[in-house]
Amino acid sequence: MSLKIGIDVGGTFTDFVLTRDHAEPSIFKSLSTPGDPSIAVVNGLTDIAAAQTPALSLEAFAASIDTIVHGTTVTTNATLTHTGAKSALLTTEGVRDALEMRRGIREEQYNNRYTNVKPLVPRHLRSGIKGRLDRAGRELTPLDLEEVREAIALYQREGVQAVSICFMNSFANPAHEQAAAKLVRQMMPDAYLTVSTDLLPSIRFYERVSTTALNSYVGPKLNHYLDQLVGRLKTIGFKGLLLIMQSNGGVISPGLAREKAGLTLLSGPAGGPGAGLFYVRPHGQNKCITTDMGGTSFEASVAVDAPMIKNDGEIARHKIALPMLDIHTIGAGGGSIGWLDDGGLLRMGPQSAGADPGPACYGKGGKLPTTTDANLVLGYLDASYFAGGKMKLDLAAAREAIATHIAQPMGLTVEAAAAGMYRVACNNMAQGVREVTIKRGFDPREFPYIPAGGAGPIHSCLICDELEIPLQIAPRESSVLCAFGMLLSELKHDFVRTFVARLEQADFAHLLGMIDDMAREGERQLAEERIPQARRRGQIKLDCRYIKQYHEVSFLVSREAIAQGDVTAIARAFHAEHNRLYGYSLESENTPIEIINVRVQAIGGIDPPGYREEPRAGTSAEKAIKGRRAVYLPETNTFAEVPVYDGHALAHGNRLAGPAMIEEETTAIFVSQGFDCVVDAYGSFVLYRKGREDLVQHCLT
Amino acid sequence: MSPSVDPILLSVYARNFKAITDEMSISMEQTTRSPILCEAKDYVTGLYDAQGKMLEQTENLPILAFSLAPVCKYIKDYFGEDLHPGDVIFHNDVFSLGNQNNDVAVYKPIFYRGELVAWSAVKGHQADIGGNVRGGYNPNAVEVWQEALRIPPVKVYEKGKLRKDVWNLIFANIRLDIVQHDMKAEMGACTVGERRLIELLEKYGLASFETHKQALFDATRKMMEAEIAKIPQGRYSGEGYVYYDGRHEGSKFTIRVDIEVKGQSIKFDYSRTDAQTNGFVNGTFTSSASATILTLLQMVNPDIPHNEGMVQPIEIIIPEGTILNAAYPKATTFGNHLCPPNADAIQRALGPVMPDRVTAGWNNLLCSLTTGTDPQKNEQYVDIGFMGLKGGSGAMLGTDGYDHIGMIDASGGVLDQDYEMFEQQTPHRLIKHELLTDSAGAGQWRGGLGVETIFEIGSEDTQLVTFGDGDFEPAFGLFGGKDAGLNFIRLSYPDGQTVVPKNKDLITAVPKGTVYHQVASGGGGYGDPKKRDRRLLAEEVKNGVISREAAMRDYGMSEAELGGTV
Repeated sequence: MSLKIGIDVGGTFTDFVLTRDHAEPSIFKSLSTPGDPSIAVVNGLTDIAAAQTPALSLEAFAASIDTIVHGTTVTTNATLTHTGAKSALLTTEGVRDALEMRRGIREEQYNNRYTNVKPLVPRHLRSGIKGRLDRAGRELTPLDLEEVREAIALYQREGVQAVSICFMNSFANPAHEQAAAKLVRQMMPDAYLTVSTDLLPSIRFYERVSTTALNSYVGPKLNHYLDQLVGRLKTIGFKGLLLIMQSNGGVISPGLAREKAGLTLLSGPAGGPGAGLFYVRPHGQNKCITTDMGGTSFEASVAVDAPMIKNDGEIARHKIALPMLDIHTIGAGGGSIGWLDDGGLLRMGPQSAGADPGPACYGKGGKLPTTTDANLVLGYLDASYFAGGKMKLDLAAAREAIATHIAQPMGLTVEAAAAGMYRVACNNMAQGVREVTIKRGFDPREFPYIPAGGAGPIHSCLICDELEIPLQIAPRESSVLCAFGMLLSELKHDFVRTFVARLEQADFAHLLGMIDDMAREGERQLAEERIPQARRRGQIKLDCRYIKQYHEVSFLVSREAIAQGDVTAIARAFHAEHNRLYGYSLESENTPIEIINVRVQAIGGIDPPGYREEPRAGTSAEKAIKGRRAVYLPETNTFAEVPVYDGHALAHGNRLAGPAMIEEETTAIFVSQGFDCVVDAYGSFVLYRKGREDLVQHCLT
Repeated sequence: MSPSVDPILLSVYARNFKAITDEMSISMEQTTRSPILCEAKDYVTGLYDAQGKMLEQTENLPILAFSLAPVCKYIKDYFGEDLHPGDVIFHNDVFSLGNQNNDVAVYKPIFYRGELVAWSAVKGHQADIGGNVRGGYNPNAVEVWQEALRIPPVKVYEKGKLRKDVWNLIFANIRLDIVQHDMKAEMGACTVGERRLIELLEKYGLASFETHKQALFDATRKMMEAEIAKIPQGRYSGEGYVYYDGRHEGSKFTIRVDIEVKGQSIKFDYSRTDAQTNGFVNGTFTSSASATILTLLQMVNPDIPHNEGMVQPIEIIIPEGTILNAAYPKATTFGNHLCPPNADAIQRALGPVMPDRVTAGWNNLLCSLTTGTDPQKNEQYVDIGFMGLKGGSGAMLGTDGYDHIGMIDASGGVLDQDYEMFEQQTPHRLIKHELLTDSAGAGQWRGGLGVETIFEIGSEDTQLVTFGDGDFEPAFGLFGGKDAGLNFIRLSYPDGQTVVPKNKDLITAVPKGTVYHQVASGGGGYGDPKKRDRRLLAEEVKNGVISREAAMRDYGMSEAELGGTV
């Protein structure tokens, strides 16, 4: 028996998912401990040990765990709150301000009070060093090591914890960076060091220097946290494998995460998209939209065969050019505050009441109306069964907040105002889904929709109405989807090199050499992580563009195509991807294609949790009805009594018709008038548009 | 009977309109080729109702933004009943409300169940538009035909069918092939807008759309009126200055604005402005009106939606024959760049009555464009010096200016070239691109810092075009804040000769190895510099953006306060 635990540290709760081979996954939550998040990890493991049958001591339980996969927001929060390490930057003379100027962008053009972000490295710790390479990597001026020494001496005096090195054109020749790195290692052996060409040897100076500086900025924090976590786990007797979730949807060993801390900037939500795919596959699907609605934010992403990746992300307005999952985040969650703008229009968020003081109905001092307050007024939440009854909600406080701030100023009833808040919130989230679908060239109607987060399935029917999506799948684990997704994640190591050439004139032997170098490095890292040969594999991508275009398209190619210099096959793949993304290709015009970057991903397979098919339990859901209550029906803009089902009592094959509510301890699901629901063989609630039984035929018969 | 207004649905419409124009904008960014479009984002996307009233826009470069609706109305009247599903119309003509010759627009009428219900439009700065000079900035032009091909409203598609003869006529008069591709990208973005709007109509119906559109205009107008009502009633005047028309050395022109705030409306009257020039330094009505609107928008709540309701309370009078509204057939290519002095005039006029909303002067644009042949690749290159032209913005009450933001007509929407891409795409080698110490006007709130750009030119026989200003008059300080520094461009030839181009100039045969040196200076300061936060100043001296000398001279810092900072 193999025991694996996925642990996702969130702002309010730390989520745990346990899997034991093919047994049903179990879910736990403990309150997060932001001061030292590893305390909540141990607290949760203590509770889980006690909940085993028979109950185990923490030590006995810890010793039985084979693998822990961990997602952390330590690096994300350090960046968002500007509490990273005191950092310095060695760069080329004449360009030390690139990091601060961010190419001169002001994101809000009409807002003269909108200020630039505080740079990750203050200007006096950004040192321009003599020494220059040309655009092909040839040395024009040798590196001035004396200037490097002087800069390091300054860093020592200033108590710098982390150093970044990024020189002009180093993507074509890392020699100067390596020479400077050697001096830093000698003179500041305890400093955290990031060398741009080790982390991201690709062209575009601003993106590289920003990514390098971010890595250094969050590195010491992540190291400190991993020290605490590893220490605590060791103390309680954990001897298994610890893996860290990274932004690209894969996992890595803590050792590698320490070196490339920037890889964890999206560690928290990165488990979601892979988990979404897990739940749609039994339905014969290979793609889905996965969404996760938390207290403050709503995250949306798309997967087709695998989660979508982007190479030019941003965090807190800093560019990060490491591959990360294309997860779009907007400020919409249970805590989003409703307000009226100067023109009297109702808006929701992005300001959030968070967990503290939280929505008015939490009774913790929050006075402003939030999405959760509206959901309570609309009947979607049961004041006495929130979090399985562990937390009582204050309906009067919710009504009061909505009346004061929305209903009275708009001249509406409290119910109408709450309905408005709900509809605006759903519309905001639908726009978030548009960002990752329509704006990336995907038609959302062709994708099953996975609503995660405790409140996600309360809003999903209206979101799906807006986008005309006919099929939703709400997993039993929907409230802890990211933690579950972590258990499905493979080890992934990304490498990139810049290789600028016209496709038809490219030196494919040279290109193949670069690819094989990167593949070897991937093999070495996977070997270190004890991944056997048979489970190692890799994939190659080229970043190409039509000549004179500025933006590249990244697409998969085979090693054979490169080895044989199969220009036709490579061009065909490029045209197809360009067409999918932007609605046209220039295949018929014979426009030359240019290669800019080559990427290799080394993948180490894992043993994912399997599917555990439940036996059929008949179609009737009658026995699961635990009561009736009035809820808001958005289609008719009315309230009506609907049956409330106990989700835990629903089983494979059970069918129910909307409108209805389904309640579980950590999730509530609203099945609107437009949808019906059937429970699939794996316990997920499958909502399909009325009359579209064809989408769920395999569940019905 | 029209349906009643659903206040919630109103928010949904507003959000959807914005999402549509944003989506059109992304489509442009990803598919265009000219760096002016895909890197600098010199384009605007918009939706208009059947009458050509603005529903929403995505304004990457605001100076283009407020000519789209007037032209839309013009095109609608021009074709009258002769508009059909599948029509696509091109337009750039500055004498029928276009703002600049190079800014070529695509308009697509949107039909729903056979009825004209709306328009989608995109306008972008095209890399070439014919005329005497490649790229379009001809400092010697005096008439429009020396500048560009004029495109009055013309259908390139009629009822879904390409008019190949018309298409070929247009592109036979334009030098660069990429312009065809970039116009296709504009059409593609209009189609994206059309599809999304029709989806919205399918969902809610035309009657609902019409009712809520009007309600949205009304709500927005109310927001704008409320903002205007905050300005004390009265009449306020200000001036801004333009130096050199490209042809007459020492020439100087004055923009004069008289602003009248009355109740909930505001009037900008430019009747006392100097007469048009006999060069290309002339505005068109819509480029000048855009400058006025974008400056006002920076003084009001930035959350006001951009639609017809927003512009209704604003009246703008610019007599024909003035430098801001040249009469046919004068040259006008420089017109968009009259925005900075126009904005100066407005800030100066309103400063005394809106001291909490105006900014001190912004750094004025001084731009260069180099062309030549890369000797290693034997390929032609064109480079617009975006990184060099971006100076600092003016400070305001409570907020420092923004460093290296660039001219007010873009307000941070135009980005630097990436340094390594710059060295790949040109034969030049970058020597320096950094914030310039002491370039910001001193003040309790200082101006934004400017930048210094130095590179070595890597091609023989290089051609350099300059256009801009800011080398005679610095960005001004306000309420005791100090002026910033001046712009310049200077060429040091390998033989030791130094050439300082005029601010509108054409320099040919620049040899390889010449060092190009440019300063885009800072913005003006606001308030008494002696009152600036001492801790902040000490940090700025430590960071080298303010020198010790300037800290003592301008800010009155003592040796003791500066302490050990080196």
